[in-house]
Amino acid sequence: MNDFSIVLRSLRVRAFSTGIVLTLVAISAGLLLAILSLRTAGERAFERGTGNAHLLVSKDGSPLVSVLNGLFYANPPKAPIDGAKLAELRASFPWAMFVPTAIGDSYRTFPVVATVPEFFTKFEPVLGEKWVFAEGRAFEKNFEIVLGSAVARETGLRLGAKIVLTHGSGKSREGVDEHAHEHREYEFNVVGILEPTGAPHDRALFTDLESSWILHAHDRFERAGTHKTLTVADLADEDRLVTGVLMRLPSRDPMSAPPALVSQYDRLRRDGTITVALPANEVQRLFTIVASIDVLFVAMAAATLVSSAVAILLSMINSMGERRRQVAILRVLGAGRARIFWLVLTESTVVGLVGATAGVALCAVVLFAATAWMRNAHGIVIAPELDARSAILVALGTTTLAALAGVVPSILAYRTSVARNLRPIG
Amino acid sequence: MDEPTSSSTRKSEAAHLAALDIDSLGFRYDSGFELRLPALQLSPGEEMLLVGRSGCGKSTLLQLIAGLLDPSAGHIRIGGTDVHALRGAARDRFRGRSIGMVFQTFHLLQGFTARENVLIALLMSHVAKAEWQVRAESLLRSLGIDRLDALAEELSIGQQQRVAIARALACRPTLVLADEPTASLDPENALNAVRVLRDACREQGAALLVVSHDPSLEQHFVRRERLDALTKPQSAHKGAAS
Repeated sequence: MNDFSIVLRSLRVRAFSTGIVLTLVAISAGLLLAILSLRTAGERAFERGTGNAHLLVSKDGSPLVSVLNGLFYANPPKAPIDGAKLAELRASFPWAMFVPTAIGDSYRTFPVVATVPEFFTKFEPVLGEKWVFAEGRAFEKNFEIVLGSAVARETGLRLGAKIVLTHGSGKSREGVDEHAHEHREYEFNVVGILEPTGAPHDRALFTDLESSWILHAHDRFERAGTHKTLTVADLADEDRLVTGVLMRLPSRDPMSAPPALVSQYDRLRRDGTITVALPANEVQRLFTIVASIDVLFVAMAAATLVSSAVAILLSMINSMGERRRQVAILRVLGAGRARIFWLVLTESTVVGLVGATAGVALCAVVLFAATAWMRNAHGIVIAPELDARSAILVALGTTTLAALAGVVPSILAYRTSVARNLRPIG
Repeated sequence: MDEPTSSSTRKSEAAHLAALDIDSLGFRYDSGFELRLPALQLSPGEEMLLVGRSGCGKSTLLQLIAGLLDPSAGHIRIGGTDVHALRGAARDRFRGRSIGMVFQTFHLLQGFTARENVLIALLMSHVAKAEWQVRAESLLRSLGIDRLDALAEELSIGQQQRVAIARALACRPTLVLADEPTASLDPENALNAVRVLRDACREQGAALLVVSHDPSLEQHFVRRERLDALTKPQSAHKGAAS
């Protein structure tokens, strides 16, 4: 028996109100922590996801949409870039990297990125981090496909597996893609599985452009009433479409943008038929757009935390009738006023500490759920990481708030008249 | 000239030896109720019953003795220590160490077991921690409590009364104050409670001051006083003191 066990027992005696207040505190602290952690993780995920591309060219409606679709696979780009424009772009500058991509097909709702072999040799999924194959190799010929780490994990596909792709995304922003259909005529052979990158690429599959073009050409032939299995030789110019190009300028320092980037960016932007994006800048712009909403969310969560502190205060004030008698008894038994003050203050602090701890645990669950939701609903990969610094700050803040909420009840307990509160009860 | 000096010395020595020594006590509530008690002494181990009608100041007197109220005049010494000369935490510690209190409604801590109710008294005391468990257990068992780990509210009224007595005696106090200890009990249990209380105090060597408005208790105490006769209340204010 010690002072702390008196505090714990006192909380247990009021188990119902203690439980409710603890739940409130846990939800508030967990919510605030989840928002802070998601914000940090979100920023990190977006920053990682832009990779080493200096420029992204597409025909999307805006640079931001272009980045979200072309690098984060949020939705399949609607308008394609034809072969002539692609050749023009390629010839316009001595690019250090020029990687066209065609996004639009899918496998079990995972996006399929059709691209060129340089995608694995020149494009880095995360700046400064090259692709690493966990198993197998990159595609070398038609109808070979490479799996992102999350795809392999979630589908259970292994090297050598044969899969058929869905022409179309299988789902759209509005729900199911009505035009989606499977191409059972063309089986793709899994030849490689990538190590995790922590970027949205983990949830994509990668194949060569020609195989993707063949799927599209097949539909064109079908519409014309010709039913046959196509080869590269059957492709026409109208089949050779891409949805984006990842470009990189020559640079002495691979980690920073070269001086020529601004002039090339301006030059390309003058072409009104394409959309040019600086991926790193667009991500920053996205953060700026959501920053005010973000602040609002943090403020709301902080307000919830303050209201939970008020709940602690009210709960303790409400129990003051019973508490006064307990205080009077302890005083009679020899407890000084200061000791009573600290006992009550410790009680509210314990509620804050336990609530904050439960909040951290709750946050871990929320983060896990939010991560899964972001991944499934928007294809954005956010690592489920509890930010330790935020966790400590929120836990300390919650505990301090709870302690502050306990000051008034502690003063009331301190001032409790023993004589008045030991009159016969009942 | 020697006589008064000698008398004064003897009085002082007696006061030092007394479990309770009240000298020229005066107390006044804001409401106007006033209690005056010129003198009252209780030797170590002595038992005394103080009776009086409701509202005559019995509970107020006990709270003054326990240092829970401050007198406007006079002194109260317990085991030679002037209770009201002590301030703040020192007085609280002294109370925990030297005075045991038993109340009409027992005032056990709800949600705590019988054992814990006694342990809390020891927690607030000077008693070494190593002794707590043994002392609490032996006290409770000697008073007939076997369900040491039952919650206070789960015990019968009689058992609660005995836990309250054990708690009052846990720190081996100089003086035990009992405020209407039988008022919540039926006659049979009341008789039993008084017997248990007296036996326990005797065993621990504590003086016992019982205040009650129940005249049936008088037969159990050799020394009994009427508070009305001892005090000089200026005006009776019903409900002010009890």
